[in-house]
Amino acid sequence: MLDYILFSVKNLSHHKVRSFLTLLGVIIGIMAVVSMISIGSGMKAALKEQLEQLGSDKIFIIPRLAYGTAATTLTDEDADAIERVAGVAFVSPLYSVAGDVGFRNERRIVKIYGIDPEKAEATFGGGASGYRLLKGRWLQRGDRYKVVVGYGVASDVFSRDVNVGNTLKIHGVGFEVVGVFKKTGDREKDYTIYTNLDTIRDIFGAGNKVTLIIARIDKGADIDDVRLRIENELEKRKGSKENFFVMTQKEIIERVGEAYRVVQVVFGGLAAVSLIVGAIGIANTMIMNVTERTREIGILKATGASNAQVMKIFLTDAAFLGLAGGCIGVAMGYLISLAINTAAARYLGEGVLTTAVTPELVLFALIFSLVIGVVAGLYPAYRALRLNPVEALRA
Amino acid sequence: MVIRLENVVKIYRLGKVEVPALRGVNLEIPKGEYASIMGPSGSGKSTLMNLIGALDRPTSGKVYIDGVDIAKLNDERLAMLRRKKIGFVFQQFNLINKLTALENVALPMWFAGVSRAARMRRAKELLELVGLGERLHHKPAELSGGERQRVAIARALANDPEIILADEPTGNLDTASGMVVIELLEKLNKLGKTLVVVTHDPDFGKRARMRVKLRDGIVREIERDENA
Repeated sequence: MLDYILFSVKNLSHHKVRSFLTLLGVIIGIMAVVSMISIGSGMKAALKEQLEQLGSDKIFIIPRLAYGTAATTLTDEDADAIERVAGVAFVSPLYSVAGDVGFRNERRIVKIYGIDPEKAEATFGGGASGYRLLKGRWLQRGDRYKVVVGYGVASDVFSRDVNVGNTLKIHGVGFEVVGVFKKTGDREKDYTIYTNLDTIRDIFGAGNKVTLIIARIDKGADIDDVRLRIENELEKRKGSKENFFVMTQKEIIERVGEAYRVVQVVFGGLAAVSLIVGAIGIANTMIMNVTERTREIGILKATGASNAQVMKIFLTDAAFLGLAGGCIGVAMGYLISLAINTAAARYLGEGVLTTAVTPELVLFALIFSLVIGVVAGLYPAYRALRLNPVEALRA
Repeated sequence: MVIRLENVVKIYRLGKVEVPALRGVNLEIPKGEYASIMGPSGSGKSTLMNLIGALDRPTSGKVYIDGVDIAKLNDERLAMLRRKKIGFVFQQFNLINKLTALENVALPMWFAGVSRAARMRRAKELLELVGLGERLHHKPAELSGGERQRVAIARALANDPEIILADEPTGNLDTASGMVVIELLEKLNKLGKTLVVVTHDPDFGKRARMRVKLRDGIVREIERDENA
């Protein structure tokens, strides 16, 4: 085999420009495939990490949207009912709203999460959800006009940094900042203010309405069983299953993952088109090669090369083109993927768009490029072996 | 007999026209013979060479090379036969330009499955035999016509074949280098190789012990020096 490869190197370096241009086709194709698929893979990897971080012991209950408004209203009573469902350890009702927030003489619209202060740490803390304190403390039982702010709120929303001890005015009501979270990488979490559920509902006149209920299940309980029981309980209370979603963390991740998979297939498909163009390039070069080297084929046959050996010579050329293009393409795809990662982290925020070139992707790309070379070389190689040596020598 | 042709007919098809190149050739060339095949162009010399060289099959009749009828062989077996029994020397040298002299000579041994080290060693010995020990790593373009033909002769010897077939080996050479090539080929014959030369140079042709005269696809005359 080494002899065939060395012979290929001689053949291909004999036509440097042509070989390079052919290679370029494969390089661009593989590069596109690798960088595109790396986007999807990165997102999936990030999701998986998130899932592991969150743990899989939470169930989320939200009203379904109908015509832009909630189809049903969830209330504290619903939350209490869910808490009584077997297998549920505790529930955290949440109320989220975008509100007018003032700091010094600036006012901004910021997302606010109302939560039972006593349950704040149990719901979000303990390493789960990625929330970790940078400064100060978590909300505690009895905290009414206190807030903990996300990293983005503290550092980015107002022209001056918000610090522990400062006062934020929500709808004109003063709240003391008691804690700042570390950056989670999730934009939604970083740009949110966390405060007392009842206080915030009072300010916004929301009564006992909640927008999200997070249920944490007992250790060892089967999450799907619990989910089903919650769904049945709510169906009894709300009349129809159609009005709300009961989702486990896993399902949420899977749904998002599904969306990314679609992205991956679409991008990967586009990239595959350029790869096909690369393959056609190889086939074209190889056919030219065979035509041009007709006489050489005659010489090879006259000096005793069998059809199989002639075929192998030409297939090696094509496979070599494919694989060499694949190697360079993977390397360049990796660089592009890195560049996307860096640029996205800088301009879109961390964790919004991540890319990952996995070992599987590299292996796949290399094998694929080799296969493309061989397939593109099959027909030209077949033509070469079919040549009659007498006629080939006369060429 | 190392080469035996029985009533060999070869017809080429050019579109719908059938062109008979050989029309019933009978010929026997014994082992170790020095034979020349002469005749005007179009007489069927090259066709005869291609058949003896197992590059082509006859339309009808039998071509025996070392006792094997080539018409019965498939492409693989034909290739094997060429590889083992026949060394070609062509008028246009037919070296591969991107390979060095050494690599060109080693090529038939590659196809025969000889290890890399062994074939490089033998290729070097053969090039020394033809007087090109100093030109091992030159490419054909860097060699003179006579030198190229000597590389081709070294290549023909690579797998130690029984038969050397030379098709107008001096056709593209000046007299002096032509002479070197002729003498080299004759030396190989003296060492026991069967040498068959196609030529239309009468001075060259006359040197052979067996002289086959071909015209219109038929053997017209065979001359033989019995005491050479």
